[in-house]
Amino acid sequence: MEMVVVAPPAPGRLEDLRRRFFATPLQAVLSLACLAIMVFLVWKLLNWAVFSAVFTTSGGPEACQAAAGACWSVIAARWRIIFFGLYPYEEQWRSALACVAVVVMTVLSCIPAFWTGRRIALVWGAGTSLFYVLMKGGVLGLAHVGEEAWGGLALTLFIFVTTCLIGFPLAICLALLRRSELPWISRTTGLIIDGVRSLPLISILFTFAVVLPFALPQWLQGDKLYRVILGSALFFSAYQAEIVRGGMQGVATGQEEAAMALGMRYWQRVSRILLPQAMRNAMPATINQFVISFKETSLVVIVGFFEILASGNAAYGTGEWRFAYVEVYAFIAFIYFIFVFSLSRYGAFLERRMSVSER
Amino acid sequence: MISTNSTGEPALRIENLDKYYGTFHALRGINLSVKRGEKIVVCGPSGSGKSTMIRCINRLEQHNGGRIEVLGTELNDDVGNIDEIRREVGMVFQHFNLFPHMTVLENCMISPMIVRKQPRAQAEATARLYLEKVRIPEQAMKYPSQLSGGQQQRVAIARALCMQPQIMLFDEPTSALDPEMVSEVLDVMVTLASEGMTMICVTHEMGFARRVADRMIFMDGGDIVEEASPDEFFTSSRNERTRQFLSQVLGH
Amino acid sequence: MVSLLRNQKVRNALLQVLYVGSIAAMVLAGIVIARRNLADQGITSGFDFLFKSTGWDVNFSLLPATANDPYWWYFLIGIINTLFLGSVGLILATIVGTIVGLARTSSNDLARLLGRTYVDIFRNIPLILQVFFWYAIITHLPTPRSAHEAWGFLLTSRGLYIPFPNVGSAAFAAATLAVIAAIVLPAWLGRTSRLAQPIGQRRTIQFAAAAAALACAAIILAIGRMPDTPLLDFPALQGLNLRGGLRIPPEFATLAIAIAIYGGSYIAEIVRGGFKAVGTGQVEAALSLGLSPWRVFTLVRLPLALRAMLPILANQYVWLMKATTMGIAVGFTDFFMIVALTINHSGQTLEAIGILMAGFLAINLSLAAVFNRINKAIALKGNQLRG
Ligand SMILES: Nc1ncnc2c1ncn2[C@@H]1O[C@H](COP(=O)(O)OP(=O)(O)O)[C@@H](O)[C@H]1O
Ligand SMILES: [Mg+2]
Repeated sequence: MEMVVVAPPAPGRLEDLRRRFFATPLQAVLSLACLAIMVFLVWKLLNWAVFSAVFTTSGGPEACQAAAGACWSVIAARWRIIFFGLYPYEEQWRSALACVAVVVMTVLSCIPAFWTGRRIALVWGAGTSLFYVLMKGGVLGLAHVGEEAWGGLALTLFIFVTTCLIGFPLAICLALLRRSELPWISRTTGLIIDGVRSLPLISILFTFAVVLPFALPQWLQGDKLYRVILGSALFFSAYQAEIVRGGMQGVATGQEEAAMALGMRYWQRVSRILLPQAMRNAMPATINQFVISFKETSLVVIVGFFEILASGNAAYGTGEWRFAYVEVYAFIAFIYFIFVFSLSRYGAFLERRMSVSER
Repeated sequence: MISTNSTGEPALRIENLDKYYGTFHALRGINLSVKRGEKIVVCGPSGSGKSTMIRCINRLEQHNGGRIEVLGTELNDDVGNIDEIRREVGMVFQHFNLFPHMTVLENCMISPMIVRKQPRAQAEATARLYLEKVRIPEQAMKYPSQLSGGQQQRVAIARALCMQPQIMLFDEPTSALDPEMVSEVLDVMVTLASEGMTMICVTHEMGFARRVADRMIFMDGGDIVEEASPDEFFTSSRNERTRQFLSQVLGH
Repeated sequence: MVSLLRNQKVRNALLQVLYVGSIAAMVLAGIVIARRNLADQGITSGFDFLFKSTGWDVNFSLLPATANDPYWWYFLIGIINTLFLGSVGLILATIVGTIVGLARTSSNDLARLLGRTYVDIFRNIPLILQVFFWYAIITHLPTPRSAHEAWGFLLTSRGLYIPFPNVGSAAFAAATLAVIAAIVLPAWLGRTSRLAQPIGQRRTIQFAAAAAALACAAIILAIGRMPDTPLLDFPALQGLNLRGGLRIPPEFATLAIAIAIYGGSYIAEIVRGGFKAVGTGQVEAALSLGLSPWRVFTLVRLPLALRAMLPILANQYVWLMKATTMGIAVGFTDFFMIVALTINHSGQTLEAIGILMAGFLAINLSLAAVFNRINKAIALKGNQLRG
């Protein structure tokens, strides 16, 4: 009679929950604590950001300040300054269009079909020129707007894009120079790369913005904006060079030998054999570097540029919106989050896909 | 200038070749002369300098002493000479070294196009011709990773032939292959030999050597120990080291 | 001539000379031009200015500082501030990162979700924005008169006030050293080469050493205590101002919080990676030996994970040290801000930049050296991590 076979009960919903969250007393405590924290945070956040928040400008700042929740009116009232800085009011559609161009360009360069040297150069060249023409004007009947009037998100994107545009080729050059067989070239380059990497970005931006004018003849000084971009590109390239070099080390030595045996010259070997493979190896790390670099663009606020952070400070800093700093920072953080999060998710996706295809 | 049809001078002349890796003396005063159309098979124990020698011929290694003359052109520090010689000397590696980011066809076309400046149509026609010759025309659009080892090595041979070289170097082309794929590669090499290509092959495939070689070369310790016709080499070698090596390679 | 240019050796030599030469020429030209430009402004180059008094103040210093102090003293203060902020940030970030990282590797879905949300949010927002945010929050706190109070802590717009032992700074520094010794000594003693005793005895000796060091700290505090005062000095409102306790200036608090939170999100990922690198094989082997989950964690998973994450952690710490330069955004006088102020006030541009580079090089190299030592000390003999 003891030999009755009992079919195991189909695990119901409840049983499943119990097993996942309440398997042991410790697990149960942990689950409950986490749940409590989550409910508390989500409730607080929703209450502040949605339920008790003010969304319209109708009541003015005073009514808004009196409300218990967030005062999104400040965004409604000041979004133009955050996005466009001091760009002339009637021309701000150009600034908006320029931002769209950069976003489109970024999305395009995430598509594998564009991953050949020529196509990616084309996309970035076209995107950046379009951005520049739209922002600066002076042609095609667009009114001229000097760089000193650029600001907000558009300036942030401009600095980021030009940093990459200059820094990326520079990084490839540095990587090639560092792995040169000629000892003096590789040593000197190594010194430059390691030197730049050991310095904080702020100090480099400061040097390029403030100190470099002393060390350059008048005709070479250029605009402060472009000097800072150059500094930021140099910093980017020092890090990216090591990533590219890592990618090159992943290319079998036999590849270069085969190319040599087929009679290819140095540049032919580099451009046709070495770089295509090295860049593929380095892709996830490269995207990660882009993410870091995008976040670091915000540091130019310290050397006095009116990019999105500074324009955010200005948006709440003057007059009646003084109290609404949390809302403004939350809004800017959200903008950064959208860019950075999607890019880094894409990087993670790529990494996973590559590690699968290797198997 | 490399002359294409003078028959007088040898295809390759090596005199007192010395090669050092740091302080290690890898090649000790090698002398070798190869006539046009001649097939040389080089064998010898591992580490005896076989690869080093044939890699010196197209300057994958730089020699430290002696002379190398390929098709009448001296291989020295002159960049122009190096480029010329590399165009005329094809090489096949142990590990194929196909370009993984290109299709088989592109692998075969790239060098004729960018080194010999051939128009695309002509390069493609040549590539298809040689792929036919190594008996894999249907794989032209695949990537190397989609092919078997034997197929990859045949593509590598076709790729080298597409440059229409006058001399072919083979560095153990079959030793990275599974046994059942060895013969398909050797068959291609035999065909190539029968068409009169000048070949220098490092290989331990003694059946192939017997069929194809005009001359056998046995290396040991960075030196050429014995140089003989295949008949002499396999049946009545005077050298103790050679006989010992042969007994190991051929089995007892 | 043409044939000479075709020669590989000549070409190589020429390329190297050209490359190194042009870089050297650019640097030299820059220095020469800068010296001339600066001389036109009446600034003589050289390091004599180091011994002149600065004439301006720093807002944070662990060492005594007045406007009469010379520049070299200020640079020293800057370096110490950077190292101090860096170490505080590094310790806090490590604590945050460890907790979040453990949550991310936990078997509990809710804990994992919580950890992941933390990382996703704080990693994807620039540090400088977080610095601005916390600075705005802290400077918008109530004035001392209506300060928040909790357990003797006061949160005000003038800084955070915390209870502090009633001792002189020298005694406090000595006590801090003793506490550090209490942590380091057992670890140092734990290495088999130094103590050839069986495990049990070794534990005892380690505990004894730690206890002795802690006792030292307590004695130092007791002796160094100001006469007729309670052991802990609580901050309290007196008139319009707060008296007593230790004031953490808003700038320092901001940076420490921001670095802890942002750095923590990176370290959490490193911790998670470290645990992921421990093969399930080892854990299963340990479990099958009948070890309890806790012992499996402390004896197998933790030590192995630590070894896997240490090199990456070292890079992250170097990065954190450099992140202290955010100080200039809120006006904390770290090393970089002192350099920037020096350039502003004295005009000794080239010298100050040189000192800046040398300082960060020294910081980076010494951190790297420390981590190399640690890495070597805990490296596995053989390659047990493989497979
Ligand atoms: N790049 C190198 N650096 C140092 N030593 C080398 C290098 N390449 C080969 N050698 C040494 O030179 C000797 C000859 O090598 P190799 O020509 O590859 O021998 P084989 O091809 O006959 O097996 C070996 O002892 C090898 O260790
Ligand atoms: Mg070999």
